Amino acid sequence: MRMQAMATTHTNTPTRQGQLEEPHMSEKHASTPESQAEAPLFGLLAEYNTPGELIEASKKVRDAGFTRWDTFTPFPVHGIDRAMGIRMTRLPWLVLGAALTGLSLAVWLQWWTNAVDYPWIVSGKPFWSLPANVPIMFELTVLFAGITAMVGMLVMNGLPEPAHPLDLKTRFARSTDDKFFLVVEARDPKFDEASTKHLLEKTHPVALEEVPEDRTTSAKFPTGLIYGVIVVTAIALVPFALFAKARTAKSRSTRIHAIADMDSQPKFKTQRENLVFDDGRSMREPVKGTVAHGQLWDDDHLYRGKVGDAWARTFPSQMTPNADMMARGEQRFGIYCTPCHGQTGDGKGMVHVRASTLGQGWVPPTNVHQEYLRQQPVGQLFDTITNGIRSMPAYGPQISAEDRWAIILYLRALQKSRAASLGELTAEQRQNLK
Amino acid sequence: MAESNSKNKKNKGSEKPQNPGKGSGGGTSAWGDVIRNSVDTQRLFVSAGSVGLLGLAASAVLGMGDFKRFQYSYLVAFMWVLSIGLGGVWWVTLQHLVNAKWSIVVRRIGELIAANAGLLAILSLPIVIPALLGNSDLYLWVDHNRMAEDHALHHKSAYLNVPFFAIRVAVYFAFWVLLSQHLLKSSLKQDEASSDTQSRRLRRLAGPAMMGVAVTLTFAAIDFLMSLNPLWFSTIFGIYYLAGCVLAIHASLALTLLWLQKRGTLVKTVSQEHFHDIGKMMFAFTIFWAYIAFSQFMLIWYANIPEETHWYLLRVENGWLSVTWFQLIGHFVMPFAFLLSRHVKRHRTGIALGALWVLFVHYVDMYWLVMPTTFVQGPELHLLDLSCWIGLTGVFIAAVAYRARKVNLVPVGDPRLETSLAFENV
Amino acid sequence: MATLWSETNPYLGEPKGDTDFARITDNVARVAEAPKPPIGWYIAFGIALAMLTGFGASLGWVMWVGIGAWGNMHPVAWAFPIVNFVFWVGIGHAGTLISAILFLLRQTWRTAINRFAEAMTIFAVICAGIFPGVHIGRPWMPYYMFPVPNQMSMWPQFRSPLEWDIFAVGTYFTISLLFWFMGMIPDLATIRDRATTTPRRFIYGILAMGWRGSSRQWHRYERAYLLLAALATPLVLSVHSVVSFDFATSQAPGWHTTIFPPYFVAGAIFGGFAMVVTLAVPARQFFGLKRLIEIRHLELMNKVILATGMMVGYAYGMEFFIAWYSGNPYENFVFANRLFGPYAWAYWTMIACNVVIPQLHWFEKVRTNVWATLAIGVVVNVGMWFERFVIICTSMSRDFMPANWGYYIPSKIDFLTLGGSFGLFFTLFLLFCRFLPMVAIAEVKSVHRDAHAGHGHDAHEHSHSPRTA
Repeated sequence: MRMQAMATTHTNTPTRQGQLEEPHMSEKHASTPESQAEAPLFGLLAEYNTPGELIEASKKVRDAGFTRWDTFTPFPVHGIDRAMGIRMTRLPWLVLGAALTGLSLAVWLQWWTNAVDYPWIVSGKPFWSLPANVPIMFELTVLFAGITAMVGMLVMNGLPEPAHPLDLKTRFARSTDDKFFLVVEARDPKFDEASTKHLLEKTHPVALEEVPEDRTTSAKFPTGLIYGVIVVTAIALVPFALFAKARTAKSRSTRIHAIADMDSQPKFKTQRENLVFDDGRSMREPVKGTVAHGQLWDDDHLYRGKVGDAWARTFPSQMTPNADMMARGEQRFGIYCTPCHGQTGDGKGMVHVRASTLGQGWVPPTNVHQEYLRQQPVGQLFDTITNGIRSMPAYGPQISAEDRWAIILYLRALQKSRAASLGELTAEQRQNLK
Repeated sequence: MAESNSKNKKNKGSEKPQNPGKGSGGGTSAWGDVIRNSVDTQRLFVSAGSVGLLGLAASAVLGMGDFKRFQYSYLVAFMWVLSIGLGGVWWVTLQHLVNAKWSIVVRRIGELIAANAGLLAILSLPIVIPALLGNSDLYLWVDHNRMAEDHALHHKSAYLNVPFFAIRVAVYFAFWVLLSQHLLKSSLKQDEASSDTQSRRLRRLAGPAMMGVAVTLTFAAIDFLMSLNPLWFSTIFGIYYLAGCVLAIHASLALTLLWLQKRGTLVKTVSQEHFHDIGKMMFAFTIFWAYIAFSQFMLIWYANIPEETHWYLLRVENGWLSVTWFQLIGHFVMPFAFLLSRHVKRHRTGIALGALWVLFVHYVDMYWLVMPTTFVQGPELHLLDLSCWIGLTGVFIAAVAYRARKVNLVPVGDPRLETSLAFENV
Repeated sequence: MATLWSETNPYLGEPKGDTDFARITDNVARVAEAPKPPIGWYIAFGIALAMLTGFGASLGWVMWVGIGAWGNMHPVAWAFPIVNFVFWVGIGHAGTLISAILFLLRQTWRTAINRFAEAMTIFAVICAGIFPGVHIGRPWMPYYMFPVPNQMSMWPQFRSPLEWDIFAVGTYFTISLLFWFMGMIPDLATIRDRATTTPRRFIYGILAMGWRGSSRQWHRYERAYLLLAALATPLVLSVHSVVSFDFATSQAPGWHTTIFPPYFVAGAIFGGFAMVVTLAVPARQFFGLKRLIEIRHLELMNKVILATGMMVGYAYGMEFFIAWYSGNPYENFVFANRLFGPYAWAYWTMIACNVVIPQLHWFEKVRTNVWATLAIGVVVNVGMWFERFVIICTSMSRDFMPANWGYYIPSKIDFLTLGGSFGLFFTLFLLFCRFLPMVAIAEVKSVHRDAHAGHGHDAHEHSHSPRTA
């Protein structure tokens, strides 16, 4: 029956060369082993021995106007693109787009993290240092482009493709070894079983077979596998959910200490018990009868603000008030005193402002312009700075004695700035006031 | 030179000269293409030569007024022309070294360009002679007093001194002349012999020759360019100049071939495929140049050591900053984007534009290397820049044309020529 | 030695098949299909596993007691771990170079060696990555090196060359892996189609992702391969350049020099090719691939070794010349110190291995001799390791202040880690040889003369692969 059909088609359609050939059939073709009664036809499979034959055959199929057909070769055959009329893929444009995306992302990432969100001075470089950003710009460009080339190729090729009707043909296994195949699919609009078969006959295939649709392999993923993937994905998301919760919720328990890092070190900290010593303290006193270098402090006036038992009312002889000392005092005051006492000494520094809003039993800093402080001897002020008072800590260990005196000088100037009388100004200054 | 001329004549005698018409006055190859063109090359020789001599004369006259400026302008133009000639020497040696087949149809042009090392030696005299006469306008180290007073310079006087400089320059040019003449002559000999012997000999020679090219090219770059600022140093400098040479020779090859084809020569021999490959090389070395230039800049910028940064500081201050930006945009971004496309590289206008642009930015590169040394305020264009460029380029083109008059423009004797003719990119 | 192989090698018989294509397939695929590998494989694998155990033990010990278990100490803080890192990254370069650059240069001979050179790249980069990962001191916190949003609102410092390294090596590993895997897809499909048992068919089937060699797929595949090659070419140059920036952006004499990027790249190719021949010689002997990996291929690689060796020699020379020319006394000292200082032995070992001995490759007799190739390959690998040792240790051990000088002595753990990393490398490599197609089957076929028969272009001989551009 089929033979009959083929012969008829054959006579109706002359070959391109205009010469008629005897229908050529390989003996393999004559027998169709699989029973295909229930499975519809997927297409026709022709086998060739050499790439040259395949190319010639492809030209014929191309010229016959087929669209849903393909060739299968163990390696890329030179010239088959033209023979099959394959148009240049758009993949390069996709890759170019990905490359530009990677480049832009790298610029944005480095700019935003290092110059905006987390600026940090390193080796004298500007926050946003283009020369230093070039390597990562390049790397991300290549990374994005490369991944796109690979993934784009797979997606455009329809891979991964677990099952295919051709897999059922044992003969087809050699398409990845040494044979060359041409397949015309049945869903091609020009497909007609008899005439297409006849067309393929004329390309002298080694074998010509019918390929049925795949009805033995399920086209769908097994349901068990799908459920498995869903469950595993859900479980895999649990840690992230815990992270998200931990970042928003408060907890009183200590953190899990998987690796101690340097949090616990084999050493004694201050104020801790240490049984090695008789007194049981880990802090040690200086050796009796010794004074550390530069810590003799044998001048009561300079180092303690006292003359005899009374507070000194004058600056010590080593400290001569002058413009330099005033400048030094202003600078030190700015560093150590303004956080609480404020720039003008009115007791309204930033720490005070912030602490007051929290309202947690904050003792406000003293306003230095109060009358009693204006009258206080400089020696007593010196003692206050050195040893602290009320909630103000001792600044003796941090500020040198000379600087403490400089601060007091500046403090006196501050006090005077709010309580000076007109009589103390020079004529010129009075003029300026007007 | 005389010797090679006589060879050429003999060569012509052996080949049957046929005139395929259109006044090319050349021979025809076995595959039916015009592979000689004595008429047009003769014409080019005369016209380019006269323009060149005129340019040199104008430079000489202008140089009387401002000798210092003349030296700088001349050096820029000279280093530019030298990079084409040296690029030729490097390129031909490389083709032999890697046994390249695609380039055989183009190789003769490269050999002809390379063979003008002798002319370049003569052209270097306006730079070398003032140094010999003790003029330190260009090279500070010519001045003994300056060398003595600065400790760092004093240390270098063992290398940077006039007699040693002259000897080195003589050695470089002697090497280039010998090598390039040998490359051309062997290739011409092969035209007659049509045997593999010359190819094999040249292939064996190419390894050691390449080492010689690497060393001489590096030290020539150091002597002529880096020592303009005798305090500055950079280990990558030789490679930087090499990158420029490679760009220059490929651009010159493309332009020469386009010119010849316009006059009916090599039309069938050199195909789109060969231009495509030349374009790919220009593209690749545009990236390579950027890689080397960026490496040098970034490392010096990052480490920020005063004795190195001062060189770049000159180039990012005043008017030079815009030239430095131009280096980035014009020497890298633009040719990169332009030559990226396959169509451009396979299109005659595309490749011509690309090659012209590459040669132009390479000139800017040379300008940028030389000028900021003295003219710190920024680029001040001078008539001498133009006249020196016209003079040197004209004379150089004339010399290439002169050699090209009587020889086959394709190494017809190379046994692998068939492969090159059939070469096809995929 | 040779008799041992010929007696126990089950592959020395003729590959089966009635066409050349089939024989090529069989020649490669039967290695992965054989029920048992040759006895030599077992011996090598046993040794490699033992070394890998040493690697695990030494790294475990270092993580347990801290970096102090290594000999790193002030002033040589980088020492062995970074030497090994740079060494392994360098080895990794040949693979991508062969796959990408030789591909673009239409060097068809690469098809014989590209597959396992690429595999070598990936395994070498794995080895390389471990060293700085452990050297950071807290290998359990590597995420701080990546721009991951974290509770401290901190970001990596992108102006640091060490951060560039993360991106460069990470990108390189990713792209190399894609390149390797993509090249392998058609060959995995070949093995899948030859498979006789269901598990094999399933595993190779998963890996081959349903590749059936359709020409429409080949068309996109080739385009993608070309694009990856074009991307990998500048990438391979960038990776070792970025590694060289680690040193060259500093101000240390002997480290800060502008030639470092191209010099490191040339050295990496040099060392990488040496490793390829070191592996190729035994692989072709063991697995009967002599017909695919020919002497001609080894000779060409030897030429590349010679050429890149000369480039490295050029860089050594330029460094010395400019050190003197700069007039900088510290630079001068560092280079004099390399020649005659306490590490002179390392320096001269490096010179002998990298510059002097490879000169033997000028002689064709040496280039075409398998044993000489293997020996010089090993020597160059030793030399390249010493190059990194010289750069890192001489410069760090004696810098600006003599009060800071010191002499670095590696600990036993250092040597165990170094040796162990070879164990990891060889374990992975031997597994690869056993189970994956060692030679690019499809590519070898595509450059076979039969691949061109029967269509228009065959009037003239083809000098290039049809797959190149």
